Amino acid sequence: MPSAKTKTAKPATKDLRAFFTGAQPGPSQQRRVEPAPKKDKSKDDAFVVIDSDEKVQIPEEDEDTCADEEEPPKKRKKAAPAALYEPNPKPQAEPKSNASPKKAPAPAPAPAGKAFNWAAAKAAKLAGPPAPGSKDVPQPSAPDCLLGLSFVFTGELSSFSRDEAVDLAKRFGGRVTGQPSSKTSYVVLGDNAGPSKLAALKKHGLKTLSEDEFLELIGTRVGPGGPGGAQLDEKTRKKMEKEEEAIKKAAKELERRENKEMKEKAGSSQLWTTRYAPQSLKEICGNKGQVEKLQQWLHDWPASLKSGFKKPGKSGANIFRAILITGSPGIGKTTSAHLCAKLEGFTPIELNASDARSKKLVESGMNINNMSLDGWMGGNHATNSLGVAITKKSCLIMDEVDGMSAGDRGGVVALNALIKKTKIPIICIANDAGAQKLKPLKGNTFNLPFRKPDAATIRSRMLSIAYKEKMKLPANVVDQLIGGAQSDIRQVLNMLSTWRLSSETMSFDESKELAKVNEKNTILTPFDVTNKMLGPYMFSHTARETLGDKMEMYFHDHSFVPLFIQENYLKTQPARIRDLNGPPQTLKHLQLMYQAASSISDADLVDALIHGPEQHWTLMPLHAVCSTVRPASFLYGGGMGYGGPGAMSFPQWLGQNSKQGKLTRQLGDVQIRMRLKVSGDKTEIRHSYIPALFPYIVKPLVDNGSLAVDQVIERMDEYYLSREDWDTIVELGVDQNKDDTVLKKISAATKSSFTKKYNANEHPIPFHKRTDLNKSPKKLAGGPTPDLEEVFDAEDEVLEVSDAENKRGNEDDVSADKLIQAPKAKKGKASTQPKGRAK
Amino acid sequence: MSLWVDRFRPKTLDDLHYHQGLSSRLKSLAASGDFPHMLFYGPSGAGKKTRISCTLRQLFGSGVEKLKIDQRVFVSPSRRKIEINLVQSNFHIEITPSEAGNYDRVIIQELLKEIAQTQQVDLNAKQRFKVVIINEADSLSRDAQAALRRTMEKYMSNLRIILCANSTSRLIAPIKSRCLLMRVAAPTSTEMQTVLEHVAKKLKFDLPPEASLRIVEDAAGNMRKALLIFEALKMQSPDLTGPLTIAKPDWETYCHKVADLIVQEQSPARVMEVRAKFYELLSHCIPPTIILKTVAERVVERVDEALKADVMHWAAFYELRMRMGNKKIFHLEAWVVKVMCLYKHFTYNFDMSDFE
Repeated sequence: MPSAKTKTAKPATKDLRAFFTGAQPGPSQQRRVEPAPKKDKSKDDAFVVIDSDEKVQIPEEDEDTCADEEEPPKKRKKAAPAALYEPNPKPQAEPKSNASPKKAPAPAPAPAGKAFNWAAAKAAKLAGPPAPGSKDVPQPSAPDCLLGLSFVFTGELSSFSRDEAVDLAKRFGGRVTGQPSSKTSYVVLGDNAGPSKLAALKKHGLKTLSEDEFLELIGTRVGPGGPGGAQLDEKTRKKMEKEEEAIKKAAKELERRENKEMKEKAGSSQLWTTRYAPQSLKEICGNKGQVEKLQQWLHDWPASLKSGFKKPGKSGANIFRAILITGSPGIGKTTSAHLCAKLEGFTPIELNASDARSKKLVESGMNINNMSLDGWMGGNHATNSLGVAITKKSCLIMDEVDGMSAGDRGGVVALNALIKKTKIPIICIANDAGAQKLKPLKGNTFNLPFRKPDAATIRSRMLSIAYKEKMKLPANVVDQLIGGAQSDIRQVLNMLSTWRLSSETMSFDESKELAKVNEKNTILTPFDVTNKMLGPYMFSHTARETLGDKMEMYFHDHSFVPLFIQENYLKTQPARIRDLNGPPQTLKHLQLMYQAASSISDADLVDALIHGPEQHWTLMPLHAVCSTVRPASFLYGGGMGYGGPGAMSFPQWLGQNSKQGKLTRQLGDVQIRMRLKVSGDKTEIRHSYIPALFPYIVKPLVDNGSLAVDQVIERMDEYYLSREDWDTIVELGVDQNKDDTVLKKISAATKSSFTKKYNANEHPIPFHKRTDLNKSPKKLAGGPTPDLEEVFDAEDEVLEVSDAENKRGNEDDVSADKLIQAPKAKKGKASTQPKGRAK
Repeated sequence: MSLWVDRFRPKTLDDLHYHQGLSSRLKSLAASGDFPHMLFYGPSGAGKKTRISCTLRQLFGSGVEKLKIDQRVFVSPSRRKIEINLVQSNFHIEITPSEAGNYDRVIIQELLKEIAQTQQVDLNAKQRFKVVIINEADSLSRDAQAALRRTMEKYMSNLRIILCANSTSRLIAPIKSRCLLMRVAAPTSTEMQTVLEHVAKKLKFDLPPEASLRIVEDAAGNMRKALLIFEALKMQSPDLTGPLTIAKPDWETYCHKVADLIVQEQSPARVMEVRAKFYELLSHCIPPTIILKTVAERVVERVDEALKADVMHWAAFYELRMRMGNKKIFHLEAWVVKVMCLYKHFTYNFDMSDFE
């Protein structure tokens, strides 16, 4: 009996893995590989061996496993869903449109699935920690069996990662929200559920599901497509039908329009993005309010111009001569601008990054005064210097303003000047509203930020286009694409048009794959990366991220992420010690901390090789693992976030390092001034002299106040220390000599009398700093004529020092007197120098 | 008044109180006319610089004591300006290339060639060559040391180089083989006591032997430190009798505080506290090796016999890593966590066995 059990269990896990990970290696394998990437290969081999064992045992499973492990990813994609649907091929053959409810075959697997689940759960329990992929996804009765339900997930499920569970719900037509509300149908609870969600759950009295119950629901619930379609209430169904109608209508409209166009200019093959570009304001997806504002502004333009831009109007835009539209790509900024201009009867003149837009061209190329006679003189086809037709009523659209760069020197400034006196409306379009480059424009333009439309706004339009193109797409597939493209309408259309070339339908998995392939390369901030890496999910047993994915996180910002990890790795409540208590927990925690710290230490050695003289940049991946992945793998866990006591913080290293640099430089200045008296180097000065000098030049000011000033200054002169050097010496103190504590003890009166007295007297100077001399340092900077410079300096400097020495000349022995001769001869010259010390 | 350590610094080789053999050797070398390149090495406070300046005086006469400081600007290949301070007399020049950090090679190449290619112009000079003193030679980068190699041979007629370092371990062998190695060992306690007595005599007061012994003990072979402590003590209690408490420098007490923190509690929060203190020490120009050494010594004092060897072993381990790596704090922290780990394991094991 037990052998039979394992036999059934094994293919299940296999299936599931293929189902989810596609090209990724199995999670167990991945976890083993992590700590030592070098061993990767041997582990791989071991894995394959296991597979071959299986082959012998279960011959009918042979094909599937082989496909999983060895076939190239493209084929694997197809293998995965096949594995899922194989036992019950009907749902796949069935058209997936939610609009055509058909009788589903009697759901046979429900009881079997239940029994199976228990076995799997038991096996998982016996194995100790909850095992990923230990549970099978039951065969749903219909592909959209969860339609009309909304789910909230909280806590950690034992078999699925959060993402997978959310995927499951979405795949079968369910809706997933982040926070529970009264409209939530079910809350799926896992281990360590968030307290806030539990509270909300109680408040709204929501139904909860465990993981198994959730799976069971998938297996047993009959969606609207099934015989029990009545589950869906009347309202929802009506709504859906209405949507369906709207889609068909819109598609027809599109068809009609195209036919008309085809008649006008036969055989034009346009991109979908142009073919289905909105032609009325109604068709623009999202940002309705902003578009209306834009149109109103254009509409009011003649009146505003007449009134001299004094009347703000309803939106307040009418006092501006230009509008700045900002927003991410593909959400219809340019389209809206063109459309509004056209609708208001303006001829748009568009200038984008493909045109040179330097200061000169901007100034000369635009007919801002709207006074050109070209329109009359040259008939209908006159153009300005940029080759754009000029009409009576034109409107300038400056697209991609933030792309005005190196070649377009002064472009933004010129544009700004232009805006101040323009007599035609100017619409500027940019991606990043916060860009430094756009600062000059901010004051003179009406800012019109465009937001990313959410999936619901785009969905119906996409569906009607798909319908028109005779593609069969369920709504959740479109949502997946929109989500993957981050609401970039243009990208969704492009994806669809390419997909259409090969196939007319698209399944959920395919859409996911497609979205992933077309994924935009978003750069996460180091804060987000740290939060993800050290957070509880990235390394949890249900996580499906591969080592490569984790390393990818490091490359989001390879210079900052390691610093962030180092700064914050001790702030987590490690998940690895969650099950321990008392001393073993403390010991294990320290152990993990040590492993992380030593890995960071390793990483620094690698970093030294990368940034050293030999620049081994190929070691970057190793650095990624040592500095980021490994430490996080030991100490990942909850407890760190953006707020609260253990909040993530910005690395101190940067600030401290620059402070160290600054103080080292200042210490260098002190050392070189003292050098004439002292033989020690910088470290010696800091170690021995600063503590030794402290009682002579700082302490008296604390103890005796301004009475001690003369004494202190005398001591400082002895060592050629200046007032700034005194500050440095105080600043360098730590502990009881810390600058704050010391300076607090010196009264303000003492300080000011010290400064006053110091400035009133003249002091010996060992040398002049380059910057102190009233000459441009450029002239002196290591030029080709060093000899001349040497001579010049020699005169200067010798005088300074010998003067200083003359002061204490009595002590000097006879040999010193002999040399006084030379400077004496030049004495006359010395007196003419402003900075020389004549005493 | 300067501090005693500067006031009573010996000026000639004859004035030196200890390492007489070394002094006489230097003297005869200076007289021979065949003066080699030299490498002075030894711990700080042993008298390397003093010996170098005495030797120079022997070579050139009192002219070398007329020092002046000059600032030169060099331009690195990447167009960065590097300011370098030169301390020079008519006969010698003293540079500290480590001021330029990674660009020390530029300094060595440009400056040394420039000096080497011009001959001594002063016809009255005792020697035909000039002397270049390179301070902190052990922190010269590998490139800079390589740049030095050939220069040392090629321009021998115009130029002698005196390197000054704490240890020879970071100098490449070719440099060492081109120099006459001069080890300036730390003075023994009796030697230090003689010096202290000499100073006391010059200042016309009596130094009780117990006091001098205390000072010498505390200075641990660092003559400079001994004299500074001496002066501080004299200021504290003018007759130098009775129980003497030697005030520790600020950074040392701070390091001790860090060590106490480590021993008192072992937790992530404590590690972060220690990290903040390390940052403070580092940013206030205390070299990381000194920090590690001071803290480790204090920790060793505080822990059980069985742990002492381990603590020091790991200190040595991470000291090496600090020298090889870039960001010192990472290694310091790893050491702290390791020590905490060891300590906790030890105490728990101890407790457990107690209960059994």
